[in-house]
Amino acid sequence: MTNNWPENLRKIIEEFKDCFDSMERYELLFEYAKKNPNSLSMEEWNEENQVLGCQSRAHVECMLDENGNFLLKTGADAQIVQGLMAITAIAVNGLSSFEVSKLSPSYVEEMGLKSSLTPSRANGFLNMFRRVISEAEILAEA
Amino acid sequence: MALDIQAIRSDFPILNRILPNGKQLVYFDNAATSQKPQCVIDAMTNFYENYNSNAHRANHTLADEASAALENARTQISDFFGAKPENLIYTSGATEAINLVSFGWARNNLNEDDVIVVTEMEHHADIVPWQELSKEKGVEVRYVPINIETFVLDMEAFEVAVEGASLVCVTHTSNVLGIRNPIEKIIDLSKKSGAAVLIDCAQGAPHEKIEFEHLGADFIAISAHKMAGPTGIGCLLTTSERIQQMKPFMTGGSIIKKVTMDGTIFKDGHEMFETGTPRIAEAIGWGAAVEWLDQFEMKDIHEHIHNIASLAGDEMRSIPGIKIYGDPNNKDSAGAISFLHETIQSQDLAILLDEGGFAVRTGHHCAQPLMDALGVPSTNRASFWIYNTKQEVEAFVKHLRYICERFS
Repeated sequence: MTNNWPENLRKIIEEFKDCFDSMERYELLFEYAKKNPNSLSMEEWNEENQVLGCQSRAHVECMLDENGNFLLKTGADAQIVQGLMAITAIAVNGLSSFEVSKLSPSYVEEMGLKSSLTPSRANGFLNMFRRVISEAEILAEA
Repeated sequence: MALDIQAIRSDFPILNRILPNGKQLVYFDNAATSQKPQCVIDAMTNFYENYNSNAHRANHTLADEASAALENARTQISDFFGAKPENLIYTSGATEAINLVSFGWARNNLNEDDVIVVTEMEHHADIVPWQELSKEKGVEVRYVPINIETFVLDMEAFEVAVEGASLVCVTHTSNVLGIRNPIEKIIDLSKKSGAAVLIDCAQGAPHEKIEFEHLGADFIAISAHKMAGPTGIGCLLTTSERIQQMKPFMTGGSIIKKVTMDGTIFKDGHEMFETGTPRIAEAIGWGAAVEWLDQFEMKDIHEHIHNIASLAGDEMRSIPGIKIYGDPNNKDSAGAISFLHETIQSQDLAILLDEGGFAVRTGHHCAQPLMDALGVPSTNRASFWIYNTKQEVEAFVKHLRYICERFS
């Protein structure tokens, strides 16, 4: 799923495109990190939901809500990763697992945060994103 | 003598780099690897363009030239470090050099009755090989702590730990804290206890003249790439006596006198440890790097870096929320400043610094036991070298202050 983003995500992309510069984009990202609708509290962080990475701690839980739709809960100590995952959660929650499994991470690039996807930083957001896609694939097949 | 920093900077083409976001690069990740002067790049390019050949293996002109260049580099590098050429064993870097001591010397000379002393501030490269040896041979590994208030090695604890030790493995300078250890005293105490000494000079060699024979250590591990040389090469400096006690841990071609179906007779001396095709271009590049460095006094380089680091430390301390791990004002410190902000996570801080063009390192710096001692999972680290300027530090501090005010 590229360039055909879920409605919630499309609005966020536009919001980031309106930012004056990269620092303003990161400031907005920090705000999304703070208002993550489905954050995993630190008490819920465990080895099972941990995404291993060198530079930051990150945790992901994927499940189905009472309507059988995808529900993503995330937690990270780095605000940039947490912000990106909060946006991802806003985008995917309520979709079917199949729809989530087809999502591309390139919306981050469209938001003007391409550097968050470079390999040396991939152990943060990109590893979490891959975990989400992998779990969505499993849930879609179940 | 004061260094002409602008002239030095002109030798490093990468320092003119404009990053994709339009910002001028300010490179403060020198403890990870230094940049390379044009002469090093040219020396390696010249090898590949004009006399690329395998060394020591043929009777044609190119092979002769490559062999001569490889051995000429060995002489240049060993001279720079106050060692004899035959006491320099090329390795892939300091990590392989330490592993060469572990596999080549310690496995053949230590057993379950022996003790190895390491410190809490070692790089993983100087911890893991000894832990593995301990599992295999039952050798005891003793750790010397640091004082977490002053960040210096607890020398009283060292004096206790070294009693009865067979090998002492200590970093010259901490890659995290920039703290230089009192290696002269460590070598002296170790010798008095009858222990062999390995000094990891990966961080020390770019900042201070390492005089191998004068220091009196048994083993010194060095990486080229942190001192203007290329990646992929380093060396172990050791004594002829220790070489006699070593066996090769990697075997194959180049290191043999004769191979028959019944077995192998190895060459003598350092030649026993350099199997496979040598790192010819890298050795030539490293030779060019030490020749370039030799135009300066290392004490002048150290003084320049110390001035830069002291300024950075003083200014960074004035930023609310910033805590420094280390003592950049100490005259022996080697220009690495680890720091954290009380609310901005280290990876976030590094990314925001990068947005301003400032390259710093983030993570545990391959020193997790030290991170545990400091009680933190990671730090940011700004590390300086010969080409960094006061103006760069001022711009860095200004951007750091801006980030802290805007994002905390």
